[in-house]
Amino acid sequence: MKIDRRKFLAGFSACVGGGAVGSMLSPLPWKVMDDVAIWTQNWPWTPVPQDGRYSYVQSVCALCPGGCGISVRKVKSRAVKIEGLKDHPAGNGGLCPLGLSGLQYLYGPARVKSPLKRVGKRGEGKWQPISWDAAISEVSQKLNELRARNKPHSLAWISGENKGILAGLIDRFLKVYGSPNVLRDSTAHDAIDQAAYHTQGQRGTVFWDIENADFILSFGAGLMDGGWPLARMNGFPKSADGGKTLIQVEARLSDTAAKADLWVAANPGTEGVLALGIAHVMIRELIYNIDFINRQASGFEDGVMGGDQVLQGFKSMVLEKYKPEKVSGITGVPVDAIFDIARRFAKSDKAVAVCGRGHGRVAGCMDEALAVHYLNALKGNIHQPGGVFVVADPDYVRFPEPGMDKIAEYGLGQTRVDGAQSEKFPNSRYLLHRLPEIINTADGDSPVQALLVSGANPLYTIPDGKSVKKSFDKIPFIASFSPFMDETAVYSDVILPDHTYLECYRDIVSQGSMDGIVVSLAKPVVRPLYNTSHLGDVIIQIAKALGGYIETAFAWKSYESLLEETFADNWETITSSGYIRMNPQIPGTVATSFNTPSKKFEFNINAGAPEAPFSSAFEKIAMEGDAQNYPLTLIPYDSIRLAGNYPANPPFMTKIIDDTVLKKTHGCIEINPATAKQLRLSEGDAVKLSTPRGEADVQIHLYEGVMPGVIALPRGLGHTAYSEEWGLYGKGVNVNDLMGPIEDPVSGFNMAWGIRAKLTKI
Amino acid sequence: METPLIPPGVKRCPTWQFALWMAAVGAVLLWGVYAMILVWWKGLNQTNMNDAYGFALWIWADLAVIALGGGAFFTGFLTYIIGKDKLKGIINYAVIIGFICYSSALLILAIDIGQPLRGWFIFWHANVHSMLTEVAFCLSCYFGVLTIEFIPLILENPRLAAKPFLHHLSHNMHEIMAVFAATGVFLSFFHQGSLGGVAGVLFGRPFAYREGIFIWPWTFFLFTWSAAACGPCFTILVTWITEKITGKKLVQQDVIGLLAKIAGWMLITYIIAKSIDTLYWALVTAPGMGFTLMDFYTDHPIYNIGILFAEIVLCGFLPALILITRRGRENGFLLILSVLLAVLGCSINRWVMVLQVMAVPVFSFESWFLYSPSWQEVATTILPVAYGVILISLAHRYLPVFPQEKELNPAN
Amino acid sequence: MKESATHETARRYGMVIDLDKCTGCGACMVSCYAENNVPFKKDESNKLDSINWIRVVKMTNQKPYPDTQICYLPMPCMQCDGVGKHGHSPCVSVCPAVATDYDFTTGIVSQIYTRCFGCRYCMAACPYHARKFNWWDPVWPADMEKYLSPNVSPRMRGVVEKCSFCFHRYQLARDKAYQEERAELEENEYQPACVEACPVKAMTFGDLNNPAHAVYELKNHKHAFRLLERLETNPKVYYISSKEWVRRNGDNYLPDEAPGRLKSKAKARH
Repeated sequence: MKIDRRKFLAGFSACVGGGAVGSMLSPLPWKVMDDVAIWTQNWPWTPVPQDGRYSYVQSVCALCPGGCGISVRKVKSRAVKIEGLKDHPAGNGGLCPLGLSGLQYLYGPARVKSPLKRVGKRGEGKWQPISWDAAISEVSQKLNELRARNKPHSLAWISGENKGILAGLIDRFLKVYGSPNVLRDSTAHDAIDQAAYHTQGQRGTVFWDIENADFILSFGAGLMDGGWPLARMNGFPKSADGGKTLIQVEARLSDTAAKADLWVAANPGTEGVLALGIAHVMIRELIYNIDFINRQASGFEDGVMGGDQVLQGFKSMVLEKYKPEKVSGITGVPVDAIFDIARRFAKSDKAVAVCGRGHGRVAGCMDEALAVHYLNALKGNIHQPGGVFVVADPDYVRFPEPGMDKIAEYGLGQTRVDGAQSEKFPNSRYLLHRLPEIINTADGDSPVQALLVSGANPLYTIPDGKSVKKSFDKIPFIASFSPFMDETAVYSDVILPDHTYLECYRDIVSQGSMDGIVVSLAKPVVRPLYNTSHLGDVIIQIAKALGGYIETAFAWKSYESLLEETFADNWETITSSGYIRMNPQIPGTVATSFNTPSKKFEFNINAGAPEAPFSSAFEKIAMEGDAQNYPLTLIPYDSIRLAGNYPANPPFMTKIIDDTVLKKTHGCIEINPATAKQLRLSEGDAVKLSTPRGEADVQIHLYEGVMPGVIALPRGLGHTAYSEEWGLYGKGVNVNDLMGPIEDPVSGFNMAWGIRAKLTKI
Repeated sequence: METPLIPPGVKRCPTWQFALWMAAVGAVLLWGVYAMILVWWKGLNQTNMNDAYGFALWIWADLAVIALGGGAFFTGFLTYIIGKDKLKGIINYAVIIGFICYSSALLILAIDIGQPLRGWFIFWHANVHSMLTEVAFCLSCYFGVLTIEFIPLILENPRLAAKPFLHHLSHNMHEIMAVFAATGVFLSFFHQGSLGGVAGVLFGRPFAYREGIFIWPWTFFLFTWSAAACGPCFTILVTWITEKITGKKLVQQDVIGLLAKIAGWMLITYIIAKSIDTLYWALVTAPGMGFTLMDFYTDHPIYNIGILFAEIVLCGFLPALILITRRGRENGFLLILSVLLAVLGCSINRWVMVLQVMAVPVFSFESWFLYSPSWQEVATTILPVAYGVILISLAHRYLPVFPQEKELNPAN
Repeated sequence: MKESATHETARRYGMVIDLDKCTGCGACMVSCYAENNVPFKKDESNKLDSINWIRVVKMTNQKPYPDTQICYLPMPCMQCDGVGKHGHSPCVSVCPAVATDYDFTTGIVSQIYTRCFGCRYCMAACPYHARKFNWWDPVWPADMEKYLSPNVSPRMRGVVEKCSFCFHRYQLARDKAYQEERAELEENEYQPACVEACPVKAMTFGDLNNPAHAVYELKNHKHAFRLLERLETNPKVYYISSKEWVRRNGDNYLPDEAPGRLKSKAKARH
């Protein structure tokens, strides 16, 4: 038979067809189908976490000053989950979303994995990994050079470490090196502590005994917005099983205001005036703590100064100047409400007034802090359960007095670069926000020739970002110790990455309570993942490289040996239970504790005198910008879902941000629908937000809970560093770039609570 | 001499013209195939669907083509079971359209699922309570039936029919076609119904939920009914389009008229039933869940109350009334207008029962969920259309689809 | 769907969430992400493709300033018992491949990721938007795969996932009880990660059938309600709120109806 093309094709098709039909009857296709399905169930690119032995490491969270106890679940050598540590006095088993996200910092893409030296232009992001020896010599060479030029005081260290051993090491290092310039960010606590100092003569940290109070009158404190460990708010707000009373004074319906029994929508910046209005009612109706005021206060009644000069007392000043009608006019709070709040506050068993806007990131106005503190005095709750305590800072960090050379003594004799602790601002320890302007306006060389940064991200957090950047450009040498590639690290010349808090020992000082200040020990949960080094050890190494007295002052073998030495007898306790308590409070020890000239609580209201900060002309805290060009008021707000400070929001937290706060890369600005209507703006509109300090593109979000005429922007967005995979890069607006600092005349603190602004439709 | 590929006695356009036509449609097809491959390769993130819109554009397309492909089963039912022999003039075409619709539907389902390689789990791990299981089984089986119904027609291609084996196979298959038609009717009844059930059983979705009888919500019956009514309309519409494109009369007008009349009566009864169902739902079922009728509509350009009017009156009663009157049917324009409206009405119904179900907020604090498809979705939805056009073109060119074509076009 | 001898289950795990206490901090969500290996993407601002097993929804009373109020509503999977509590939850009854099932021993609705083929019918069926689809392959950048917990398998692209009331925690607790030859679990032995993480203790979890558990009493609180009760989904997540507008938001009411005064079919059968 002749096989032509047609026959061949037919035969071939028959074979293929027959084969196909035949194989359908065989197990082959079914087996393949099954195998393919099994493959989809085990895609190699979908990870399968390894199982292994479980263990738990008890430690402490170091992501905010709260210092809550954590329990870290491990599988073999991997840390898989952070949970709250039950029975730990700080946090009481609860953790905020930031603390729960801790492992994302540890394993995340923002880590600096080894010491890095800048090879490109500053901020360009081009780095060369170097050895630790090389990194330390980079720093020590620069520091030696400054000493050789007899300019040790031109070294500054911006430090996030505020208390504890690391803070002690940094202070000691700068001291023996010869620089007075340890700089730290001031928070609302600095103003409050200073208010307590002015009135009670006590140095220390103020704490409000929330746990034992049954009534909180909060002037804008973000008690439930993440400024405080939430577990401490147990009982607030009221619920089915009873509870305590919370009154929140705030221009914006925050989560704290939402949970309050009463939300008092006062004009922003007038909270302190409202406090004085309340004081007025308490005094007028004689519902203040007369016993306390009579026996343990001075300056309440008018006094005679010498000659026939009458010194006005707090009472007559308040009665005269803060009549409810007038206060109502300033604050926008109805007169009835002022009376009502005053009466409820006065008549509650254990009431306390607290302040510090949101997370308390901005130190704030001294007048306001004092006004609120005076309310507590009127209530007579000073050093009473459920009231206000001033606790001395723990003093377990005691290093032997170091020897110093001439250069160091010379340098220490120079004034601080930020003007803190000066004649003008004697009681303020740090005024970091003043640094950029001082550098930018200096004649000739920058007064800061070398800057070291640890535990802080000043390029992001200091107000008026533009001028901060400008000032950093003038600093010839910047070294960062950050474990993360944050904005400041990106802008530095050399990075000497620290461990994260989950990889090393570290002592953490928590906020106080009646039972004292809790000092917890962070332990290495996992071995360091990368080529990082403990900041404590790095300081010791740098000191060694500098030699001389500096080396002698840091003669410790390592940070760990120093840690053990420092805790001495307490080492056992702190390693086994994870924390120790210090300085427990004994209530009612008022008389012995006041350290004022009169040994009483002093209502110092006479402006001018250095020890009398209160300005009786106090009406509304100043705000930058003119109403003509900027008809709106921009206020920043804090959210528990946004780490507003350092370090930046982890992906888990960014994931829980509402789409009314952040939409794709657009930050949303909250505006009252009535205001929006006037401006012909509607939900989702793209607008340009301008302030005297800068402008940014934002998206409109209509929110009934924000005061008409006021617009609100969250803190914590607008990052330009970390890693793109971190999920925060280039999203939203950094509100610090839109606001400048406003100097409090008494303390020098930044008291800016808002800025004038306008919106233009794009 | 070789047996010609083109059936004898009919005129077809020159090869170059046909090739050009195929190339144009093929380009659209390729676009769709590209989108389909993208979706398979990169996943459903290529679509604009989201967690609120788990079902979207192509599920609507799926439901719509199945309903419109219903012409196959219903015409088959009329031809082979009821014995309306006259309809043999259009049954082939109805089967082809049905085949296209159902193969498209299966393809869409294969694109739509997140794990296509595990799609067969629906058979292997079947949950008998799920309407979707019923859909999958009946749909696949009926597609098999349609294939069997389609094969003899393919075998009638002159060149294939020249082979004695294939010729006899074709002949014998014709003999038993009534059995398959009956099977098809049975299967169709269930899967059309099950598709209605898919939405109707969603008791968590007050817009979709309907009470019913035994396990079947009323939408079960309404879907079957509407498919029986609108499927033939679609067959008529496609036939008309084919005639316009080929420039030839392909089916005798009385065949069309008969089908239109039956479709008209199906449509009028359907739309009355649908109206009763809508009234009961609006007045009893939905208020029992705390909803008024107007809660389901908003001032959106699509989801306003007009869509209900369009579905029931404009694309329901109006075409039905035209089709059941002789004068309406016999007016060429009105006939085509009314089948077009009926097809639209059915498509609106399927749209509403898929997309509006997703769009309506169930919580009072939610807002409407709105969505617009990505180009990949549009392309994959157009893909079946291009595929259908190609298959129809091929079938028309090479198969004796229209038995009356020769006699209607004697000049050739 | 497994049939049980009696329709009443031995245990019916459920939750009572006190909305008066909830501050909306989101700790429950983050704890859930960490516990259940929930992935994240670079952009999570489209909440309709963001995987959350529990979402905290912000509701407002729509009143103008300063009478505005906010209430946060944490929404995990409601673990519906379905009409007549037969386990025919909206999702279980529609899944064509039995990839989601009602467990009659706990009342928990499971999700089998390796069985699911991604038809998303369950998502269409669920009025609570509790079900989330894996539109993308999950990716953990840098060394983040290291924090994944072996207790819960990460999900592949193309499948649906949802809250399981941390069923793996139940299994661990149950295994431990078996080893110790106990038949019953203590109330605190099995708690989902969200409940445990709530810093203000707004969430209570336990066996709704067990009078010794706190939820047993709490669910009968005069201000207790469930979401969309009128749909007869029979959720096992209860809420308590002292605010009438919040309770009203929990369901749909005709203009002349009000929560509490309504005796729906669901209530009668409840």
